[in-house]
Amino acid sequence: MTRTTRILMGAAYWAFVVYVFVPLILMVMMGFKDSRFIGFPINEWTLRWYGEVLRDAEMMGAIGYSAVIAVLATAASLFVGTWIAVLLARGGFWGRPVILGLTLLPALIPGIISAIAFRIYARQLGIEPGMGAIVWAHAVHNVPFVALVVGARLSTLPGSHVEAARDLGADPLVAFMRVTLPYLGPALMGAGVFCLLLSFDDFVRSYFLGGYEPTLPVLIFALLRSGMSPEINAVSTVVLVLTAVLGLWAERSMRRMDGGGR
Amino acid sequence: MRDETTAGPGGPETTAREILRVEGVTKRFGGQVAVDGLDLALAEGEFVTLLGPSGCGKSTTLRMLGGFERPDEGRIVLGGRDVTRLPPERRSVNMVFQDYALFPHMSVRRNIAFGLELKGMGRRAIAARVEELAAFLELTPLLDRRPDQLSGGQRQRVALARALAPDPAVLLLDEPLGALDAKLRSQVQAELKAIQRRTSKTFVFVTHDQDEALTMSDRIVVMNEGRVEQDGTPEDLYFRPASRFVAEFVGETNLIAGRVVGRPSADRFEMDWDGLRVLGRPSRLASPSEGERIDASLRLERVRVSAARPTTRNAFPGRIVGRTFKGSRTELRLSVGDGERVHLRAYAETGRSAGPSDDAVWIGWDEEDLVGLRG
Repeated sequence: MTRTTRILMGAAYWAFVVYVFVPLILMVMMGFKDSRFIGFPINEWTLRWYGEVLRDAEMMGAIGYSAVIAVLATAASLFVGTWIAVLLARGGFWGRPVILGLTLLPALIPGIISAIAFRIYARQLGIEPGMGAIVWAHAVHNVPFVALVVGARLSTLPGSHVEAARDLGADPLVAFMRVTLPYLGPALMGAGVFCLLLSFDDFVRSYFLGGYEPTLPVLIFALLRSGMSPEINAVSTVVLVLTAVLGLWAERSMRRMDGGGR
Repeated sequence: MRDETTAGPGGPETTAREILRVEGVTKRFGGQVAVDGLDLALAEGEFVTLLGPSGCGKSTTLRMLGGFERPDEGRIVLGGRDVTRLPPERRSVNMVFQDYALFPHMSVRRNIAFGLELKGMGRRAIAARVEELAAFLELTPLLDRRPDQLSGGQRQRVALARALAPDPAVLLLDEPLGALDAKLRSQVQAELKAIQRRTSKTFVFVTHDQDEALTMSDRIVVMNEGRVEQDGTPEDLYFRPASRFVAEFVGETNLIAGRVVGRPSADRFEMDWDGLRVLGRPSRLASPSEGERIDASLRLERVRVSAARPTTRNAFPGRIVGRTFKGSRTELRLSVGDGERVHLRAYAETGRSAGPSDDAVWIGWDEEDLVGLRG
């Protein structure tokens, strides 16, 4: 690589970083501005808007509601996704490519399409819009990611480990619980955090399947219609920091577990 | 040890109780026959090695004994009970895997305890048994480590301890020394043999390494293409190979092809080897008749090279045409008779200097040492 190309590539990278982060930085800054008007110059800084968020029962309720939905949807997708990954890992059976394709499909369907489809289907089944319907739609959407991540980890498990467990007296279920599942730990962890974030962040499915109680993204959307406010910037900053911390922590501990697992 | 005074060699084997029997077991993968009508009987306390090249069916046989593969035909009887269709967790057989298969998320202690916990043993009894095995295999200081903090030799001992812990009737070992370096391997071979003696457990050991098989086994079963080629003691296999395959696979040998020209007695044959008349002994499994073309095996170390004419009836003048230095001994390449066509290899003690090539020498061997082979 010549000197010029190296400089050019470095410059391109930093341009990309600026492009990605400047909007985020602006949003965070506006959350600290002591004025209802969003824009420069910022004359005074304040934490007032964060206090408003904490006192806002509707906002706090929406955060809690979103969190509960995320946890439930994640638990469901981990269970189903792992099940499918284990099934697919066996390989060599008839219809495996079809099952694999069907498993990945929910991840590829455009959100709006699947949201509408779910809405219609839910009405047919008599499922009321609300938490149950949202959890269901989120879980279906997240299963492919779990199946892929867990499947990748499963493919690195030496067959002899399960055989050794069987050899020492474990029936297939005990062998799975005591040997396979611990081995999948890092993958379950990573996939789980990813699902939590996807679900917490989802707007389209929650909007179409939600009842009267809004999830956080739905609430923010509703508030935006009456105009941008620093309070929205503040709550967005909180969400941004929390998700970034969660994601980084999961990534780190996944790598640590992985290292210890070899 | 108590039998030593009453029973000679072979004595304990004939009186010992049979622990495992394989009857006409066949296993196919797709159209490929991996194991073909195998019969095998194991006595209690025996160290039996299944020896053969890769793809000979030895590992498949071991996996069928462990319950990981189901035979297409035949029966496996363990301690008088038919276990052919039982899954691995319901057989009193444990395996040491080639890659050891230690559970990475458990300490050495938990690994060894695994089989005991599943047996439903009490906490106290488990702890005592783990300590006992750890002391026996010198693992005590390592009990709280994880498998990835152990060396290859230590992992191998943990795998052995884990497999021995539930006190199986038969221990299966699938090339467990393959991952160790050469120096460690010979040390572990001796350890393994000592452990087998002290526990007086029945070991079924699978390897493709003939040195390993000869060093450790009471009995070796040589397999080729899914069948038993020969079943005997290491000495049997080495000095009395039944077939060309065994002669070539076990140790270094001279293979001599020729036509049988006479049978002076029941245990002697005379053979025409490119114009040379040589005397040998047919193997127990083959009795060649006159006019038949056969192969015969002559071990390198049984070929005598001397300056004076030897007293054996097989005695030919020849020349040393090549030397290969092999450390403690030197391999000689000999030209036998006056022609250029007939060659033998032999071992000589390594001297300080190589000595000149093309020396005129006498070459001879005992009739007992040239073994006529089957087919």
